[in-house]
Amino acid sequence: MTATEQMRAAEKPGQIVEMAWDPITRIIGNLGIYTKIDFANRRVTECHSTSSLFRGYSVFMKGKDPRDAGFITSRICGICGDNHTTCSVYAQNMAYGIANPPMAEWIINLGEAAEYLFDHTIFQDNLVFVDFCEAMVKATNPGVLARAEATASPRAGVHGLRTIADIMRALNPFEGQVYNEALRVSRITREMFCLMEGRHVHPSTLYPGGVGTMPEPSVFTDYLTRLMEILDFVKKAVALNDDLFDFWYDALPGYEEVGRRRVLLGCWGAFQDPSVVDYRYEHMTDWGRAMFVTPGIVVDGKLLTTDLVKINLGIRILLGSSFYKDWVNEEPFVERDPLGNPVDMRHPWNQTTFPEPQKRDFGEKYSWVMSPRWFDEGSGEHLALDTGGGPFARLYVTALAGLVDTPYVTARDGAVKISLPRSRTLPAMDLKWSPPAWSNAIERDRARVYFVAYAAGMALHFLERAMTRVRSGDTRTFTDFEVPDETIGCGFHEAVRGVLSHHMVVRDGKIANYHPYPPTPWNGSPRDSFGTPGPYEDAVQNMPIFEENGPESFKGVDVMRAVRSFDPCLPCGVHMYLGGGRTLRTVHSPMFGASHG
Amino acid sequence: MAPIRVGEPDVRPDATAHVRGVREGNALGSYEMEPGHHLDGTADARRSTGIRPGERNPISPSMPNLPPG
Repeated sequence: MTATEQMRAAEKPGQIVEMAWDPITRIIGNLGIYTKIDFANRRVTECHSTSSLFRGYSVFMKGKDPRDAGFITSRICGICGDNHTTCSVYAQNMAYGIANPPMAEWIINLGEAAEYLFDHTIFQDNLVFVDFCEAMVKATNPGVLARAEATASPRAGVHGLRTIADIMRALNPFEGQVYNEALRVSRITREMFCLMEGRHVHPSTLYPGGVGTMPEPSVFTDYLTRLMEILDFVKKAVALNDDLFDFWYDALPGYEEVGRRRVLLGCWGAFQDPSVVDYRYEHMTDWGRAMFVTPGIVVDGKLLTTDLVKINLGIRILLGSSFYKDWVNEEPFVERDPLGNPVDMRHPWNQTTFPEPQKRDFGEKYSWVMSPRWFDEGSGEHLALDTGGGPFARLYVTALAGLVDTPYVTARDGAVKISLPRSRTLPAMDLKWSPPAWSNAIERDRARVYFVAYAAGMALHFLERAMTRVRSGDTRTFTDFEVPDETIGCGFHEAVRGVLSHHMVVRDGKIANYHPYPPTPWNGSPRDSFGTPGPYEDAVQNMPIFEENGPESFKGVDVMRAVRSFDPCLPCGVHMYLGGGRTLRTVHSPMFGASHG
Repeated sequence: MAPIRVGEPDVRPDATAHVRGVREGNALGSYEMEPGHHLDGTADARRSTGIRPGERNPISPSMPNLPPG
């Protein structure tokens, strides 16, 4: 599956060492990466990704009141819980046959845009960049740091940091200028979020049928002043990211192979357009394409579909290496969708969760994560899609689809153009993101900062639309409804780090089946029943190692960069051991950089 | 739950969701029942206050009626 071509010439006899990082913690579950590294040839030969935590939302949601689903599923995650609430609201709206009033839809969009601004900023600048900061580079690739000292930043005129080494120093945890500024910005963006959705990260004003936010002019002006305040930071961040990542390719030739895999991307779309969306399944193709981030699937650089109905019907939950008993012999919940299309037994609507705890065995079953795949009717393959950490797939699909056209963000000619207005110190700026040649760690990271700009541009558009409604006196933000005894619904959204779907079946007015599928099951899935590795495994396997340290002082920074490029929530603690269980470090917190490496 | 042994539940899974007899916010007709909310999506000052709301409406009919919070 990996696109990486192995350099077999002049290969030395292998010196395979087992290396494991467990847990690379994230909010939901415990992620572990188990690798075998060939130090003689500086390559990862094998990788397994595993989760040691069972959550069971699909088990305990059964029998609950469906109106509670948004509040309960929000607790799946402590950093993007609002994405779950939003997705649940979308699924419930479909199930109850209602739509949010337009003003409520703009408010949700504004809240979600603030969430993207917040989360991408804090992840990129306070977590991803720890792997690229001066302290880390000095400890892993001193030659690169020496070169960075002598390399001028091409875009220093925008971000003000004269050399690439100055950029790296600004990324140093707790001390660096960018690190600290990002913390300040993430507080402002959280305030923006709270203005719209009441509370971060579990919204208090988001319900099926609308919101409880009072659409006063001051709510929107408070949001706007905060947004304008961070625009300088966003513009500088894009320039700074471009400088750093362009330098990385120059300084370490071949680095494009780190975290590289086939372009297999999924995006389920974000930001509904209230003039089109009615949440009826029968019209899902149309309102899906009207979303301000286009849903779609990209395979090998080609856009396969933008049809949410097709995307929905192609989802398959495979087992193979997961601690679950199969459910195919159970009675299906949904045999046909509302359009009459057959629904597969492996579709989330029909899934029943039967946990089977057992010992971890990398030859057999080794993870609590199932293996979500997308069945491509054309090729007959079950594709192990990844989300590219979220922004990469969102920008890729939106660029290729060319359906988004707003005053601040447009998708045309295979690229996304973002126009940000003049801000406190910087003039108006046009940014352009085009699909890069590779799906690798650097490009996933680079896309993240461009999506911050995308979300800022979209927020400006949503504000203008919302203010127009306020000026017309429209203050309606909720719709009443009854919960039908028997109904189904599905919601598609983009969690910050990628695709998010909620599938619900209601019987006797209660939840009979509920399956949320967030991005990390897609990205962190183990080998499926066909033996296809999940995206983390695929991206890390056969990856070259550029770190200058040998096995004794190995930090695994290249592997970490590859895994973290997928945004596996908060990588805040890493346990690392070498060979036959000899512990090198019992606690490894990458936030502390070199001194604690 | 396959081979996992679990005890009898103490309460119904939806016990906390709704108490019979209490009006549900989502019930049909809720919007119309709310004071100051008009069917066309606009509202007047009665949405926010019951104390002389008419005096808090805009002085010109051409202005949008935006209740003060």
